[in-house]
Amino acid sequence: MQYLNDPNLLWKLLMQLASGMGTSLSIFFFTLLFSLPLGMAVALGRMSKRRWISAPVSFYILIMRGTPLMLQLFTVYFFLPKLVGPIPRLQSTLIAFSLNYAAYFAEIYRGGIMSIDRGQHEAAQVLGFTKAQTFLQIILPQTLKRVMLPISNEVITLVKDTSLATAIAVSELFLVAKNATSASGSVEPLFIAGLFYLAMNTVVTVFFNWLIKRFDYYRT
Amino acid sequence: MKMKSILALVLALVLCTVSFAAFAEDDSLQKVLDKKQLILGFDASFPPMGFTDENGGYVGFDIDVAKEVAARLGVELVLQPIDWSAKDLELNGGNIDCIWNGMTATPERAESMSLSIPYLNNAQVLVVLADSAVKTIADMAGKTLALQSGSSAADAVAANADLLASLKSAPVEYADNTLALLDLDNGGVDAVAMDVIVANYYIAKKGANYRVLDEQLAPEQYAVGFRKADVALTDAVNATLVEMAKDGKLAAISTEWFGSDVTIVAAQ
Repeated sequence: MQYLNDPNLLWKLLMQLASGMGTSLSIFFFTLLFSLPLGMAVALGRMSKRRWISAPVSFYILIMRGTPLMLQLFTVYFFLPKLVGPIPRLQSTLIAFSLNYAAYFAEIYRGGIMSIDRGQHEAAQVLGFTKAQTFLQIILPQTLKRVMLPISNEVITLVKDTSLATAIAVSELFLVAKNATSASGSVEPLFIAGLFYLAMNTVVTVFFNWLIKRFDYYRT
Repeated sequence: MKMKSILALVLALVLCTVSFAAFAEDDSLQKVLDKKQLILGFDASFPPMGFTDENGGYVGFDIDVAKEVAARLGVELVLQPIDWSAKDLELNGGNIDCIWNGMTATPERAESMSLSIPYLNNAQVLVVLADSAVKTIADMAGKTLALQSGSSAADAVAANADLLASLKSAPVEYADNTLALLDLDNGGVDAVAMDVIVANYYIAKKGANYRVLDEQLAPEQYAVGFRKADVALTDAVNATLVEMAKDGKLAAISTEWFGSDVTIVAAQ
């Protein structure tokens, strides 16, 4: 009960954890920023009729989903620089995470797109929409509504996956907590860090609940 | 006679060139001096050698000694926390210049890295609760112990076949010494195998609730690790450590952290 008995020490710990959380949040936001659009591109590539596009894309999805994220992180940080020169730790984390999560989002998008019934495509064709117009104005909006819940799952997982960045010593929330635990000999920092993660995920959950309600304007 | 002296001259020239070339290849020290930085890789959760203080700064016995060595070499010490299990990758990839964090000198490590002279004696010991009935390693028969996975403690226990055979069950492996000690507190295990230096730190910090057995599992020494080819850098650091031992600076830092001079550099 070292920390709970000493407000000054507790405050210093909270400051440190807050700065670690800042790093975790930046990993979180930038990964989403890159992987959400990239995932859509990958999904379209996966569904392409042309084998020379869909085959490599399928392989990419297989590798990204089939190997541990930590291993991908190691590969980007320790081995990619041999080809392209030094990559700083945070950037390596963003590259590895974005590539990984894009693969997961791609499959979620693909599931959503394929679940839109043929009637929509046929109606659009009858009305004279081009393929691109059909996709952008009819299919895509309905898909996004459908995939919101599965996407929210992945987003919540991402909040917790940011702790994997400790493998390449990025100073995010979990590593800060681990160091404080070792220095003090008490496990309180780990539990407090758990509360921080819970707080972040509560915000994410509330946000998605609001978003899904907001877009529930008609049933398809 | 003339042929012999010409041959000798040629041989001498060749030897000079060869030894010159060998020196020219090992520019490890020069590189550090040129970039004016020595990058130290450490696990920031290993008190008292290198750890995080309550303000988030990095402190520790190894950090203080390294700062002094860097100052004497005329370079800045850059502290780079790393994941301990990735230390070889970080070192060989050039992200850090040395591993200086209470690293045990082992024959395997001597093969894959260039090790400095040993600077501290350590030992793997068993830590028990102050009121425990366990007094010697033999008393551990039928009992359980915990340790940090992947540590020298794990190796020491594995090497001690009698102890391992006498335990009630296989050693419990934790990611952290703190968690292992927590299990000891709760009575989940009867002992924790760990570095005596770290054990003494926790005992001093958390109160005399623990006791270290006099009988040690395995004695060992701490050394600094450099890339295998960086012999010049290793030699420079060795020379600086010896210098610090001679003029008492090393003893001063040791007293500050451990209460007395426990370094072994002077004894060599």
